[in-house]
Amino acid sequence: MFLSNINLGQYVPTGSIIHKLDPRAKLFSLLFIISAVFPAKNFFQLTFWTIALVAVVYVSKISWGVLLRSARPIFFLVAVTFGFNLLSAYFTGDVSTASGVPASLFRAVFTSLRLVVLMLFAIMLPLTTAPLELADGLNTLLRPLERFGFPANECAMMIGMALRFIPLLMQETDKIIRAQLSRGARLDQGNLFRRVMAFFPVLIPLFIIIFRRADEIATAMEARGYDGGAGRTRRKPLVWKFNDTAAVIISILAAGSFFII
Amino acid sequence: MLNVNRNQKNRNKTPFLEVRSVSFSYDEKITRRTLNSVSFFIDKGERVAILGHNGSGKSTLTKILGGLIEPDEGSCFLDGVDMNEIEFRDLRRKIGMVFQDPENQIVAAMVEDDIAFAPENQGLPSEEIQNRVDLAIVEANLLHKKDSPVSALSGGEKQRLALAGALAADVECLILDEPTAMLDPKGRLRIEKILRLLHSEGMTILQITHQIGAENFDDFDRVIVLSKGEIIWQGTTLEFWDRAEELGFELPDEFKIKKFFEDKKIKFPDALANFDFNFTAASDEKKIKNHEAKFKIKNLSFKYDEKNFALKNLNAEIFSGEWLSIIGRTGSGKSTLVQHLNALYKIQSGEIFFDGQTLPQKGEEVHTLRQRVGLVFQHPEDQLFSPTVKEELAFAPKNAGFKNSKLEDAILYGLECVGLEKKFLDRNPLALSGGERRLVAIASVLATRPECVVLDEPLAGLDASYQKKILNMLRRLCDSGKTVITITHDLDTALRFSDKILILRDGGTVREGDPGDVIEEIMNVLEPEAWPDVLRASAEIRKINKNFPFIYDYQEFIKCFSQI
Repeated sequence: MFLSNINLGQYVPTGSIIHKLDPRAKLFSLLFIISAVFPAKNFFQLTFWTIALVAVVYVSKISWGVLLRSARPIFFLVAVTFGFNLLSAYFTGDVSTASGVPASLFRAVFTSLRLVVLMLFAIMLPLTTAPLELADGLNTLLRPLERFGFPANECAMMIGMALRFIPLLMQETDKIIRAQLSRGARLDQGNLFRRVMAFFPVLIPLFIIIFRRADEIATAMEARGYDGGAGRTRRKPLVWKFNDTAAVIISILAAGSFFII
Repeated sequence: MLNVNRNQKNRNKTPFLEVRSVSFSYDEKITRRTLNSVSFFIDKGERVAILGHNGSGKSTLTKILGGLIEPDEGSCFLDGVDMNEIEFRDLRRKIGMVFQDPENQIVAAMVEDDIAFAPENQGLPSEEIQNRVDLAIVEANLLHKKDSPVSALSGGEKQRLALAGALAADVECLILDEPTAMLDPKGRLRIEKILRLLHSEGMTILQITHQIGAENFDDFDRVIVLSKGEIIWQGTTLEFWDRAEELGFELPDEFKIKKFFEDKKIKFPDALANFDFNFTAASDEKKIKNHEAKFKIKNLSFKYDEKNFALKNLNAEIFSGEWLSIIGRTGSGKSTLVQHLNALYKIQSGEIFFDGQTLPQKGEEVHTLRQRVGLVFQHPEDQLFSPTVKEELAFAPKNAGFKNSKLEDAILYGLECVGLEKKFLDRNPLALSGGERRLVAIASVLATRPECVVLDEPLAGLDASYQKKILNMLRRLCDSGKTVITITHDLDTALRFSDKILILRDGGTVREGDPGDVIEEIMNVLEPEAWPDVLRASAEIRKINKNFPFIYDYQEFIKCFSQI
């Protein structure tokens, strides 16, 4: 398959403690962790967060294979980051070395690693949270914004549905690519302009399919009584448990300790 | 036109659902009405089929009946109340709906979460929602998948999930739009079984479909026939079967067989135990093959991942001027095999020879190969992208380097192959009917004059008239010396039309041979639900009378009883 192996953050039910956490707790924790990993300055901090990531993945019972496959599209970004940092010595003229290692190489490794840790933490969220549950959590967190006219309900449902349909659209894209290749399309030849143009025979049918599916799913949701989410109740209402408080406190402590140090 | 007796009987009773002169048009100028003054009623507890071909307006009618769109003129009444005056929420508790594509109805990642969607929208307390889910999951026969993610469900199970999702709203009436069109025979039977049970428990069921199949031909109380936006006939199911053919619907063979024995007053199959059949095998005029194989496939194996073989030591020979049907269950490797033939999949192990040469795997040779071996995917009309039919047909020839008059020739050739007129060239493919779009898509592959055409389920979702067009076209291509390969679930078509059949199981060849010779292997590989009706009937007779042959053609079958 050309594309169907990419499963951008699809929910993987394993029933672990992390899966059972309240989506709000996971959103909060992620927020704290990200805000601490972003400004991480030294290898000591990064090592700590890498260990934390390994621990979280272990507890979630999600296999590394699945996690890394989900993250595959971002490794392109990581490679670009690595390359630019490595070349940065060219632009800045900084050719200093730290114990024999060129600073630019050090920076390239460090920045890439930080990006990987960051992204993997972020991907753990949709992997351990069912789309509708995630939508629920986002909904409650966004609700204060409703006062200013922000469509929190719709926005949350939209994100949930987008996640639900990613694998299906990947399959569709794969199928269209195959069909156009069979008709002799040259998707991987010529200069950049020609390559971009060559993708129109893939993009146009894909958009038509997306709009048709969107229309059909909207009709089906309406037929099941969905009208924007106001007054909706839940089979399993979000209940804030001891574990949720614990998870958030642990993330705050972990994140905070580095700011203090 | 209307069934008068029935109307009189119900005169003093308010029908459950009444449609009064409903009209609807998608364009504002009302140049063409999708529905034109449609009126009928449904009583509580009835099961009614609304029959119509593609483009008859039945999907629009479904949405109007479900209160999802408003008619331009006329109204629908539910228990005597105008639907427009019923609150959205109240309406959604009365009418549940199931659509054709299960994927487009499932909102959650887990089975139970999805079923809970409707009662959650109703704002019920959690325990009540769970009760509804528990009930619906049993009704839809999905209890064993209670804790599964939706992605682990088969197509049939997904559609049952969609059904459970509608039932969980605790509705009095179900409206189903082609609920089994995308399912295999087994999945179809399961859904029908559930609907039968629901109907017997008092559920009002309205099923919109393009044809009544063998699986449910005596399940409906009434049939309403819709054509070009108007109701052209309605009556009881028995009355319908007498007029089905003149109304443009084919009788299922199973129905014909049943009727045949009823007319002859023979109890089927018990009375046939000691019957002496006069069966003479049709004279075999087998083609003499003195030519080389077009494709020779030797020990082909393919794996998507480390563990599972998609193809395993597959061997086959495909000849020019022959029509080969590839059959096998879902996941038997049919698609993977044909995508090897134009090098979309690279050979992992084994060999493929095309015209005696090793099949090219990369570079410019692959492009030449794809021009010589045309591949038409399932639902190819979804891959159209050009503003005009002409440009669509020019895509493949241009990619193959055709220019000027050669390009023009290619476009006209493609059009001619599928039997479309020249006036279609300037039309927008998206504005054509589904059947016409399918023809354009096939023409766009044929334009480069491929020597071999491979089609994956070319008839899926088409009306009988377009199916016939495509079957004739494929026969013509064969007769002109081209190799035609089709993948199909439709055994009846495969047996009747193709020259050869290749049966796959678990990625390997079970048997390759003439349709008449491979019937027993087919019966081993495919479940009885997938057999043609006539074959199933002859197997039934064979159980008690070993002399009876395996037959798949209705006329042949009837001949066996000619002396009665």
